[in-house]
Amino acid sequence: MIKDRRTIMTWPAMLTLLLFALFPLVIMFYTSFISDATGEFSMANYAKFFSNLTYIKVTGTSILISLCVTLVSLVIAYPLAYIMAKKLKGLKNIILVLVIIPFFTNQLVRVYSWLIFLQDGGILNRLFMTFGLAENGLGILYTKAAVIIGLTHAFFPYMVVTIFMALERLDDAMLEASRSLGASKTTTFMKVIFPLSMPGVISGVTIVFIPCLGSFVEPRILGGTGGLTIGNIIEDQFFEIYGWNFGAAIAFLLLAMVLICMGGLNSAGKRWQV
Amino acid sequence: MSNNNKTGVLGKILIILVLLYLYAPIFVLMLLSFNESRYNSLPFAFTLDWYRDLAEDRALMEAAKNSMVLALITGIICVILGTMFILGQRYLARRTEGIFNSIVMMPMSIPWLIMGLSSLLMIRQLGFEKNMIFVALGHIVISLPYSLLVLRARISSLDKSLEEMSASLGAGPLTTFRRITLPALAPAMIAGGFLSFMISFDNFPISYFLMPSGYSTLPIEIQLSIKFGFTPEINALSTVIIGFSLVVLAIVGLIMRSNIKSLVGGDN
Repeated sequence: MIKDRRTIMTWPAMLTLLLFALFPLVIMFYTSFISDATGEFSMANYAKFFSNLTYIKVTGTSILISLCVTLVSLVIAYPLAYIMAKKLKGLKNIILVLVIIPFFTNQLVRVYSWLIFLQDGGILNRLFMTFGLAENGLGILYTKAAVIIGLTHAFFPYMVVTIFMALERLDDAMLEASRSLGASKTTTFMKVIFPLSMPGVISGVTIVFIPCLGSFVEPRILGGTGGLTIGNIIEDQFFEIYGWNFGAAIAFLLLAMVLICMGGLNSAGKRWQV
Repeated sequence: MSNNNKTGVLGKILIILVLLYLYAPIFVLMLLSFNESRYNSLPFAFTLDWYRDLAEDRALMEAAKNSMVLALITGIICVILGTMFILGQRYLARRTEGIFNSIVMMPMSIPWLIMGLSSLLMIRQLGFEKNMIFVALGHIVISLPYSLLVLRARISSLDKSLEEMSASLGAGPLTTFRRITLPALAPAMIAGGFLSFMISFDNFPISYFLMPSGYSTLPIEIQLSIKFGFTPEINALSTVIIGFSLVVLAIVGLIMRSNIKSLVGGDN
């Protein structure tokens, strides 16, 4: 086969990505084996991570928070997407846009607005106190719950969109067929609608869970000490402690976690593909 | 059906609750930017003082300028790189296309924290100093996939044979590009450009790791003021940023019209 010269046009983008996205990751992998203290090539950084219970615990917290956010997002997003796709007519596009807009507002502004909103003496606090629901302040801010609220706010719109698109593609005739063959509403949902929407659910889960694992801004600002994540540990290595190579090792472990989750979800998605 | 009615009411309640969750904190923040109290306390008393402070804040204005310049550069370069890539990609062998594609889309699935710190490690390892060029490159790398999504949605509707016909009728490659390809791609180029502009303008993680000392962007300024004590000036700043984002998003939406979904559902 003759090589088409027009493919040269792909090179500038490829070169940029190779040099400034892929190559840095290779460097990160390499430096993760260099000890911060002695400068020698060893597994010391990884040993340090796995021998310290604090790091393991924080990793656990990260996974727990990400799972909670994913679950909460799914519980909100699925019914919402279902109603939008199957019950609403003209309104659905407007609501879709309204759901997407906050996703495009500045991350820092979004987190800051939750900081103001949740703080003791803030609006929500007053509202709860007026109705006698909270007496001594809400106490939500600076907990894991605040991090979950903030992260869900950031990522669940994505999930609404992926599930919505999967459900919208679903042929109504199929549902009628199921119904007319005697299946109840519940059976139709369990046997027809839900399995067919699985690809949307899985890409939604991917799109929420993975960025949560790597989040560090929301936990830092909303989480207090109990809500810190693996992202914060990495951040500290670079800005407080100056253990850059150790930071690189943790970052590589995080990356490995992300890739494994993505691989798993990907193959799960393939199984459900129609 | 009565049953349908019940789900209708529950559905409406759900929609209202979700919208409240999405918008309440942002609205409160915007409202407080017009409130006199320094400690965000009530009762509400209208003032524009915080906006005046904002306009007079040298550091913030400088940060705003940096954010703008970075976002503009990112937007323009992403459109150029993205358009070239998407045009050339059609002539790649199938397997190569797959590999190239997964490389350019990669930054979408890697946490930006990792993208930022790995670039920082590379800069140090190669013996460079932090500078604005590396910040811009970092922004370009993470924004490019998004502009590619928009461009790809459009190019699938552009028929390759149209360009070939134009060539066989004697038009040079430049004429074909100017008369056929460019007009077909223009809306996606503009939308993709604005989208990467927005991603750069809002980006915190990459700037956080790569910004040389003495420089900052708006997200960095907000982070600093959260860390070291904030005034309602930040409420005013946030309100301005939200307004600005809405305008840009509206422009993208108008250009893409029905294609807004393609901004999000890349692999669908």
